[in-house]
Amino acid sequence: MHRRSAAVVAMLILLLAGVMLLSACVGQAYVSPGEVWQVLRGHGGPYDLIVGELRVPRIALGALAGAAYGLSGALVQTVTRNPLASPDVIGVGHGAAAATVLALATGTVASPGALPAVSVAGGLAAAALVYVLAWRHGMQPSRFVLTGVGIGVALSAVVQLYLTESELAAAEQVKLWLTGSLNGRGWDQAGPLTWALLLSLPALVWANRALRPLGLDPDTAAALGVRVHRFQLALTVLGVILAATATGAAGPIGFVALTAPQLARRLTRTPQLPLVTSALTGSVILVTADLAARTLMPPLEIPVGALTALVGGPYLLWLLGRAGPGARRAGW
Amino acid sequence: MAVALLLTLAAVALSLAVGTRPVPLSAVLDALLHGGGSRDALVVRSLRLPRTAIGLTAGAALGLAGAALQAVTRNPLADPGILGLSQGAAAGVVFAIAGGLANGFGGYVWYAFVGAVVAACLVYAIAARGRGGASPVKLALAGTALSAMVAGATTVVLTSSSATLDQFRFWQVGALSGRDAGTVGQMLPFLAAGALLVLACARGLDALALGDDTARALGHRVQRVRVCAALGATVLTAAAVAAAGPIAFIGLAVPHLARRLVSGGHRWTLPLSALLGAALLLAADVAGRVVRAPAEVPAGVMTALVGVPVLVVLVRRKTVST
Repeated sequence: MHRRSAAVVAMLILLLAGVMLLSACVGQAYVSPGEVWQVLRGHGGPYDLIVGELRVPRIALGALAGAAYGLSGALVQTVTRNPLASPDVIGVGHGAAAATVLALATGTVASPGALPAVSVAGGLAAAALVYVLAWRHGMQPSRFVLTGVGIGVALSAVVQLYLTESELAAAEQVKLWLTGSLNGRGWDQAGPLTWALLLSLPALVWANRALRPLGLDPDTAAALGVRVHRFQLALTVLGVILAATATGAAGPIGFVALTAPQLARRLTRTPQLPLVTSALTGSVILVTADLAARTLMPPLEIPVGALTALVGGPYLLWLLGRAGPGARRAGW
Repeated sequence: MAVALLLTLAAVALSLAVGTRPVPLSAVLDALLHGGGSRDALVVRSLRLPRTAIGLTAGAALGLAGAALQAVTRNPLADPGILGLSQGAAAGVVFAIAGGLANGFGGYVWYAFVGAVVAACLVYAIAARGRGGASPVKLALAGTALSAMVAGATTVVLTSSSATLDQFRFWQVGALSGRDAGTVGQMLPFLAAGALLVLACARGLDALALGDDTARALGHRVQRVRVCAALGATVLTAAAVAAAGPIAFIGLAVPHLARRLVSGGHRWTLPLSALLGAALLLAADVAGRVVRAPAEVPAGVMTALVGVPVLVVLVRRKTVST
């Protein structure tokens, strides 16, 4: 079991490195791996701009955002004990989208540069609202998730209304942002994400010991001495911060947070959701999807959020068809 | 049950009488019973009657389908979108618009219908492979995965063709206005068949709630109940989405309401879900006419804004039953 997990992690790291290198090589102009290596070592050269300034930052951001989404999904699915839950289900993505749309509609945000901050704030506020509304003598996973879906629907109704009431050009802009894209993004957006991921590490080590019982039922976990509510809150806050930061950096990219943990669990065949593997799986999905987004329909670029599902979906469906040993446990 | 019936009737009456041109209820009755050529009568008969009919049928279908799917997947988050139905319908519509095959809501109906049915069949075929057949979790995950994939494909089209987005955004929001009056007639046989299928499974769904093994021990054919109920829900949703667009939330929230109001298993909760779904959609549509008169807020937006507070209060009041 444990050896298998380690092997899966090693395999995913290799896969991720391979996809990242491939992504740095291909695009409008092909650059050989050797020349990419030269640029990475800081030797400069003719490809400094195209690889060093455009591709590398973007690929790094994709890997970071994918990891944040995957990890966030694993945390939220563990707390809610529902394989259909994701940060989006508890309002993060919809909150970010509604805040962005409102800011655009009312003209309160003068510069596009301020939009990521607005979307992070919106995501956090929506998740906090869901938590407060669902809290009553404790936190029941099913109540939490249902409240989240409800609030999410209300927020997305606001966005829908904006899409029908606005001019077509504005609607297109919003639709593009809502889909999520790494186009023209890089180090500026990667900073906050790196911090969020680094800060979550100690919390995760601490949480990992408690995750196993949390995946059981709350009563059993409490009997084992876990302070269930405190853990639920801590893990939820962590998951929400990660997802909101990733949304601010790359837009509300769907599907990664939902599927990465499920894929990871089927790879490692552990009963609970593996955190590190979920993060790596998220990275692989997003970097691969971004590579496809850049190269499928040149010179047009497809928004990466439209492709994450097309990359991760078939694989998930194939795994479902195989039904690994973990799939027998109801609830996962 | 009786209360729900009264609520639905009240919603119908309001839907016929309220709008930019208020018509007294007596005049509404008169117009329906005796015809007549007055302006009021014309508004009621040619505009509000079809709109109310679509609201009634679509709302009832979504409520019923949601209740059935929550039972089939044993997941309180399940709604008609879960088997890929809504996204399949949306893909059909995008295909129709982008291909220049259909114009206006009336033309989308069949594309939406076929899209939803194809998506549901794919999801079921995928979930049924492998060991253990179409278990609730596999169904839900396969539906979500396929939904996301289809949504990705439609987004590719929408972000690269502004003409398509321009038409699609108005369909996507879900509304009862501007729909084709003939739609209801076309959809009725499907709605009836779907409702019969689902209602026939009521006892089987009760057994499913106890878990597959217990259901088998009680003499139910688990897989058959599941297929039958899911098929009924598919047909219902496809018809409703084709008629009124992807109206969110009714299929998710109404079954929770119904289970809260009556006990006694699915023989009661299924019909009650249908009634409440109809009442909720009509009430939302009426509210949408009033809120920003003379402009309208689409019913799809209003269901969310009206229904969400109700759901939150409900969910807070008690433990959630699934």
